[in-house]
Amino acid sequence: MPNNTRNDAPTKRPLKAYAFDPSQGRNLGNYMTINVRNEQLAPGPVGRYLCVIDYDASNDRYYEPVDLDDPAVLLWGGLDPSESDPCFHQQMVYAVASETIGRFEFALGRMAKWGFRGGRKTDPNRSRLRIFPHAMQEANAYYSRDLRGLIFGYFPASETDAGDSLPGQTVFTCLSHDIVVHETTHALIDGQRRFFMEPTGPDTPAFHEGFADIVALFQHFSYKEALVEMIQKTGGLIYRLNVAPEVAPADGGPVIASELSTSNPLVQLAKQFGEAMGMRAALRQALGTRPNPRDLERLFEPHDRGAILVAAVFDAFFSVYVRKTRDLMRIARASGAASGPDDLHPDLANRLAKEASKIAGHFANICIRALDYCPPIDIRFGDFLRALITADYDLVPDDRYEYRAAFIEAFRLRGIRPEGVVSYSEEALRWCPPEQMTGISPPRCQGLDFDLFSLPTPEQQKKNATILSLFGKNNAAALGLTPGVPVEAHSFHPVHRVGPDGRFRVEIVAELMRQTQVPLDPKDKKSVKFTFRGGTTIVLDRHGQVRYAIQKKLGKDNDQNERLRRQREYYYQMDATSGLTTYLGPFPLDGRPMNFNIIHRGY
Amino acid sequence: MPDTLDSNRIRVRMYRVGFGDCFLVSLPLSGNGGVRHILVDCGVHGKGNIGTMDSVVENIAKVTDSKLAVVIATHAHQDHISGFDPDKFNKFEIGEVWMPWSEDPNDPKAVKLKKKHVALAAQLNDHFAAQAFIGGRMSSSLAAASAAVANLVANKTSLQALHSGFGGTARIRFLKAGDNFQNVENVPGLSTRILGPPTDEKFLAKMDPPAGHSYLRLNGNRAEAVNQLRPFSAKWEIKPSDRKMANLRLPESEKKRIKGDVASDSLDGLAFALDKAVNNTSIVALFAFGGQTLLFPGDAQYGNWAAWLEEDGSADILSSVGFLKVAHHGSVNATPKDALEKMSTGKFAAMVSTQSKPWPSIPRVPLMDRLKQQTRNKIVRSDSLAIKNLPHAPKGPAVAKLPSGFVKGDFWYDYFIKL
Repeated sequence: MPNNTRNDAPTKRPLKAYAFDPSQGRNLGNYMTINVRNEQLAPGPVGRYLCVIDYDASNDRYYEPVDLDDPAVLLWGGLDPSESDPCFHQQMVYAVASETIGRFEFALGRMAKWGFRGGRKTDPNRSRLRIFPHAMQEANAYYSRDLRGLIFGYFPASETDAGDSLPGQTVFTCLSHDIVVHETTHALIDGQRRFFMEPTGPDTPAFHEGFADIVALFQHFSYKEALVEMIQKTGGLIYRLNVAPEVAPADGGPVIASELSTSNPLVQLAKQFGEAMGMRAALRQALGTRPNPRDLERLFEPHDRGAILVAAVFDAFFSVYVRKTRDLMRIARASGAASGPDDLHPDLANRLAKEASKIAGHFANICIRALDYCPPIDIRFGDFLRALITADYDLVPDDRYEYRAAFIEAFRLRGIRPEGVVSYSEEALRWCPPEQMTGISPPRCQGLDFDLFSLPTPEQQKKNATILSLFGKNNAAALGLTPGVPVEAHSFHPVHRVGPDGRFRVEIVAELMRQTQVPLDPKDKKSVKFTFRGGTTIVLDRHGQVRYAIQKKLGKDNDQNERLRRQREYYYQMDATSGLTTYLGPFPLDGRPMNFNIIHRGY
Repeated sequence: MPDTLDSNRIRVRMYRVGFGDCFLVSLPLSGNGGVRHILVDCGVHGKGNIGTMDSVVENIAKVTDSKLAVVIATHAHQDHISGFDPDKFNKFEIGEVWMPWSEDPNDPKAVKLKKKHVALAAQLNDHFAAQAFIGGRMSSSLAAASAAVANLVANKTSLQALHSGFGGTARIRFLKAGDNFQNVENVPGLSTRILGPPTDEKFLAKMDPPAGHSYLRLNGNRAEAVNQLRPFSAKWEIKPSDRKMANLRLPESEKKRIKGDVASDSLDGLAFALDKAVNNTSIVALFAFGGQTLLFPGDAQYGNWAAWLEEDGSADILSSVGFLKVAHHGSVNATPKDALEKMSTGKFAAMVSTQSKPWPSIPRVPLMDRLKQQTRNKIVRSDSLAIKNLPHAPKGPAVAKLPSGFVKGDFWYDYFIKL
């Protein structure tokens, strides 16, 4: 029994949810309990960060909101999984989104923030992310900064080929754990970085899709029951896509259910959704096909391209897992255990599961923490590799288990090449301090006002913005900012972190941005214009010393500006594949955040 | 009286119909065998019609003596087939009618695809009508989408006429990428290679609309939703006035915003996707006659082009082209950069049947500029032609002096290719 006294407020609230989605039934610990941080909740639920509003725009009606503080609900540890009860759906989206927020706060070492502004003064939920679990009849779900929320759809499963669902049954995207994590991740990233979502090249939308998938997939490895079972079924080789049947089928082929081989849900995303769309498979997989460096030149659809990033990260993860568990496997074999998937000793399975889930936790943290080390705009996969290496080095200088080597190798295999680096060595990939890049050492940035235990107040924000933009202006050359254009400071974040060696670090991350208007077609005098941005992410230590200045230069509108040329090329390409621009021209591109509504529909 | 054609030149006549396509290719036979005519498309979009279609068909009858060796309907869009009026064309003597394989009533894949397209177009068309009726958001996107869908409906009469071979003895062929005719019947010396549309599964998948949308329909005086799902039983519904909803109810303006975001955008996107899918069923025909090569890509969009551009020998084909009918009225995604750059600079001429109504961003200015460079100015746009009695037809850029080889007519441009 935990040693709670009567006066301790409970820190956790147990809530039930599907670990995967309803199509898994009760298999694999699919009925799981998520322990979310306890907070005061109003019916909805409405908490500090989230507000679940069950408004159905397709039917123009509201569904009864759940009251999670109702004693009857509390005593059962939350409502039981049910497809027909909208209150359970609300509970599940709340629980899964809260779990995801918690993951980000833990990794980033600070409180979560949302990227939207506005909303009426009278709106009691203006600072909360609104979740609409049944907003529309459509096979889609998306994050919208405009609507300040997550939109989830529901739809009839395919009549001809619905996989594990009944033909024509209603499929709810909000009951897919993966989809909820994916969309919440979009919202969380938008809260970290103001311009991250601007589509400036094929890598930007792909990065967002890939990153959200990475977070969702790593989440799978925290489901202990499913993990142990899959380890047993795969003989520890959890990266395998298919699982051998429980009983080897006879010559005539499988006759009973136990003789059928199944797919491995740990490495798949949104199984029910994919199957219900008639795709005969999960929506996406962690490791799709063999690594092929040419894929980057070939795949441009955001999800396909994002899959390259997902595969690179999971390749690194599984490599480390295999390396770290090799000793366990050897010990098992030495004691006479078979090397195949048959009858892995339950103790061994438990140990392997513990390792897998621990490593998965590390990897998820590294990936999320890397966000702080990304350039403020126009992210490319190569930048992300550099951010990963730097983020991990900063916290864990001694790479005993070769996490970083695994990342580098996996990215290299897929042809992801950071620009302006001479080699794939760790040293070359790490971002370097500004004096090494520009030869000038900027002074300390002093006077920043923040408090580690609360979000900055609006007054603090304003003051810090002024200090930072002035700092940027005065040290433009040292920070790689094009001189002569006003600097705006955005996304100021104080960060506190504790490394595995117990070191406590305080850092400040901020973005300094510049922008200019340029014509889409430089040869056409009447061409539409778009906003071209450049900027630098600065990472300061607690004394205000600039540790890193991670840049995307604005530069001039001339032939040498490779980044501008590429962005123009990308806009033309988008024209060439979009049905919309055929008739509407390229104007919707201008400086807008990406439209996840359209990306997710995936035409 | 049928016109005469010098025995040493091919004539391509582009009629100005408005937003649509109608091209008459006239080929002189060797010796004194006369002339053979091929009609590539005959249609105009309802919202871009300048009212010349009747005169166009009269002119075709006159110059061909009502004899057409081949009639090609590149794809089933209004702006390519609306002019095939059975009352007029049944009087023609027609050798062959060519349509894409997706029109073949004996091909189960085609039938399934077609059914889907037609059903979806009808639903979308109803939806846009109902939405306009209830005064829904009429953004530029919606207007463009509803015009794109309008292009797909009300084509029944023309399609029936084409499928019946215009009530005569015309031979009907359904074409696919890879078809090759060395000597087309009636036209000695003409060989034809069909480059599109492809038939492979990957290509077809692009034309499969996603499931799960709900649509509006007009029923008498009100708009009602069709195929709407009710995800939960009625006992779960709650009135916004309920006490529990105190902090959750949304103001009307907010509800409207959400409805707009989730409903109409999605159907606009679907409408454009469907439009692209049908454009991609376009026949892409490469004619070779007397050593000259002419490329007619219909409204092929990137997907259709990509399929054959990837094949070996596509570069040779492109560099040999002497005449190009610019695809899809010169829109942005119908002439791949790769393709245009592989054509021989200064060695080919091009014609664009286009106008900026109903879609202002067609034709695409940078594409027009590049075409001008690639053809060394041997290009004309149909809307540059001023037509008497039609002062209100949208005007393209005026042409001071036609490039060599081009001749202006009453409501057409001719281009002559020397043999």
